[in-house]
Amino acid sequence: MLDGALGIWTVVVFVFLYLPIGVLVAYSFNSSKLNILWESFTLDWYVQLWSNAPILRTLKNSLIVATGTTAVSVVIGTTGAWLLHRYRYKFSRSLQTLICIPMMMPEIVMGISLLIFFTAVSLPLGYVSVMIAHVTFCFPFVLVAVQARLQGLDPALEEAALDLGATPLKAFWLVIVPCLRPAILSGGLMAFTLSMDELIISYFTTSPASATLPLKVFGMAKVGLNPMLNALSAVFIVTTIILVLFSEYLRRLGTRPAQAA
Amino acid sequence: MKKSCCLILAGVLALAGCKSKEDAKVLNLFAWSEYIPQTVLDGFTAETGIKVNYETFSSGEEMLAKLLAGGVGYDIIQPPDYIAEVLIKEGELLPLDTAKLSGLDNILPEFRGMPHDPQDAYTVPYMTGSVGIVVNTERVTTPVKGFKDLFKPEHSGRIVVVDDGRELVVAALYTLGLGINDITPENIAAARPLLASWFPMIKLFDSDSPKTALLNGDVDLGYVWGGEAAILWDEDKKFQYILPEEGAHIFVDVVAIPAKAPHPDAAHAFISYLLRPEVSKLISDEFPYTNPNGAARKLLTEDQLANPGSYPKTELALDTFRHIGESGALIDELVTDLKNTSGQ
Amino acid sequence: MQTIGLPGTAAPHARKPGLWGWLLLAPMVLWLLLFVVVPTGILAVYSFCQRDDLGRVVFSFTWDNYVRVFDPIYLNILGRSVAYAGLTTIICVAVGYPVGWYIARRPAGLRNLLLLLVMIPFWTSFLIRTYAWIAILKNEGLLNGLLLSAGAITAPLELLYTPVAVVIGLVYAYLPFMILPVYGSAEKVDNALVEAAHDLGAGPVRAFSEVIIPLTLPGIAAGVLLVFVPAIGMFAITDLMGGARVPMIGNVIQNQFFKARNWPFGAALGVVFTLMFVFTYLAVQWHGRRSQR
Repeated sequence: MLDGALGIWTVVVFVFLYLPIGVLVAYSFNSSKLNILWESFTLDWYVQLWSNAPILRTLKNSLIVATGTTAVSVVIGTTGAWLLHRYRYKFSRSLQTLICIPMMMPEIVMGISLLIFFTAVSLPLGYVSVMIAHVTFCFPFVLVAVQARLQGLDPALEEAALDLGATPLKAFWLVIVPCLRPAILSGGLMAFTLSMDELIISYFTTSPASATLPLKVFGMAKVGLNPMLNALSAVFIVTTIILVLFSEYLRRLGTRPAQAA
Repeated sequence: MKKSCCLILAGVLALAGCKSKEDAKVLNLFAWSEYIPQTVLDGFTAETGIKVNYETFSSGEEMLAKLLAGGVGYDIIQPPDYIAEVLIKEGELLPLDTAKLSGLDNILPEFRGMPHDPQDAYTVPYMTGSVGIVVNTERVTTPVKGFKDLFKPEHSGRIVVVDDGRELVVAALYTLGLGINDITPENIAAARPLLASWFPMIKLFDSDSPKTALLNGDVDLGYVWGGEAAILWDEDKKFQYILPEEGAHIFVDVVAIPAKAPHPDAAHAFISYLLRPEVSKLISDEFPYTNPNGAARKLLTEDQLANPGSYPKTELALDTFRHIGESGALIDELVTDLKNTSGQ
Repeated sequence: MQTIGLPGTAAPHARKPGLWGWLLLAPMVLWLLLFVVVPTGILAVYSFCQRDDLGRVVFSFTWDNYVRVFDPIYLNILGRSVAYAGLTTIICVAVGYPVGWYIARRPAGLRNLLLLLVMIPFWTSFLIRTYAWIAILKNEGLLNGLLLSAGAITAPLELLYTPVAVVIGLVYAYLPFMILPVYGSAEKVDNALVEAAHDLGAGPVRAFSEVIIPLTLPGIAAGVLLVFVPAIGMFAITDLMGGARVPMIGNVIQNQFFKARNWPFGAALGVVFTLMFVFTYLAVQWHGRRSQR
């Protein structure tokens, strides 16, 4: 019964999460260029989107940066969480606090200070500088999520692997990581999302060639966020959902014979 | 993990390496987002073979912050007049070489020799605009002529204003008959009670898109950028724009070349290109601000010229903003304080 | 009673790190030093400086910026930011916890799918998403239209540009950051434990409060951290959905670097803000460790 109630609640929350997305997709068919009031139905924006090179380029940049950021954040965050869990370092607690600082630091402070630093070490602005900045505030999210999962993890698990002759690294890779997978997945998802949406830090650490989508979108607010942006979001979301469902379908196809055997 | 560090390092070196090679024909442009049409940039590249790297910002302050924190290597920047003034004063701009420029005569006389650059030695006006009052005449039937009519109790909760401390303080100074560039502690103190009476009537502060709330019908009056009013008027003629009778000012966005620009020749070529009437017209077609280019104005349609947001009719002598230096902090303190006490 | 172990308290079996332990940790420590400590250090230096006409830093020592930070107005604004962040966190726990738990109890394939579906809405642009909320909440918007036509209300509710809209916006933005860590922790809970509780005669409510919640506390603690901490500095939502009528600490700091052009004061605000966080965090950690003993 409780499960049923939770199920209904989950549905309600999903409606809340997707309500604005529904509105956003509906407005992508709006013929009004300013896209504030509804005018009439059109598919024009989807057509125009295909030929709008600058927007597509910023989307590509956002995806490159978010993917790179997620990969590095997951590596640093997961190993960091594991090490802090496994070993008692002299300065563990100070380190833990330090890790959380980028999460709370106002974007402007981080953006300006990183730009000053990059200029001082003459690192040219581009993909690398944006990714460094993004990883700095994204990996703590992975780390915290993984740490929560590690708490109460049976230490016998790793010890058993070590007793069986595995090196610590092998034990980590073969025993710990699979066990942490759900937390790594949620941490990675958070990192990717944060990176996709970051505006101010990106502004200070990017060059024109690596400018990301949020910079373009915020700039457009001045002349009106035209429905092309909604169309872009709609295409992106629908493609992602289809890809996810498809890969899930493939996975099921793949596992079914094994189950039968 | 060490591997990824090595990869990053290799990436850094690779990027640093190729940056210095492809220097030949590029122009690094640092300008407002959505202010220079892509067609203009493409046209320039097609004609000169110079590739344009268009980096954007969305406020003059944002531009200055990045410039000061270390953004370097720009050939053209696009500051508002009051920031250009201090950049000139600090020696951050390159004097223009008029021999390399053509089309300067196209600029209307009233936009030449302006206070921020009296000799026109460093800057060329790009687009200008005003700040004024927009009224939804379907919902507000009493005439609104100035700030006194805007901030009336019956309009309480129906007003949007730009979220810009200086504009708000200036509105108060105009109403009090004080000089808008005299940001002194005394004048700020005089403006405070007036602003304190205005703030509770304001429904929202929005600098980026005040038109949204007006179009949605959540508010009926606004103190907004002329460009926003021009877009509203284009959408629906019920939105009327006027310059407040107490006084109004214009802002001029200029193009200028930083002192350390790596490609000054390309920069001069680009400014000349922007000055051409047919190019300047393209800008007006896409972004309805006030065009200071007289030759380009002749090419505009009657409808464009009739838009009060772009070309307001007025007998007022229009002021411009001057650099106010550290007094900016006084304004910020006042506005933060008033918002803090008048809000929930 | 188990106390909330903050993420990061090393496991009881944790041992002294050997050479490998240090070597593996080195890249992260280096990263933090280079990209957090050094830039923050630069700003800390700035915070003791004065500024010139442009807002640039002039290296001459002063305490003034710190004196100004403790002006009651800024403390008041900080208080407001913390209050909004706190309210957001509480609502996120209440709304998000059951969802995280429910997803964790689904079959493996469905789990990952649902998890992705929680996050996908946030792969749209923030501004576009927020404008969609504006279309829903405005006076002549979707919500008022629905309620009016259903006869639930007679006049449109004024939601947009009020604190209610701000809270809706904040909860929306941060909810996934609660659901995901809760999921990560709940997925680990053995079904057998839950069933055992039932078998021993615990009703669903007791099983939930005495077995499930304690087992997933690390997830809740992580979620609280991931929602509360970033929410303090947030101001884009209060600006867009609340009409920017009240300043948040994030606005104040940003304004120093942009509009007020007073970098040293902005830096001082940033430093004090960071230090307050550090001390609170250390205090909570210390308290947590003591009560665990």
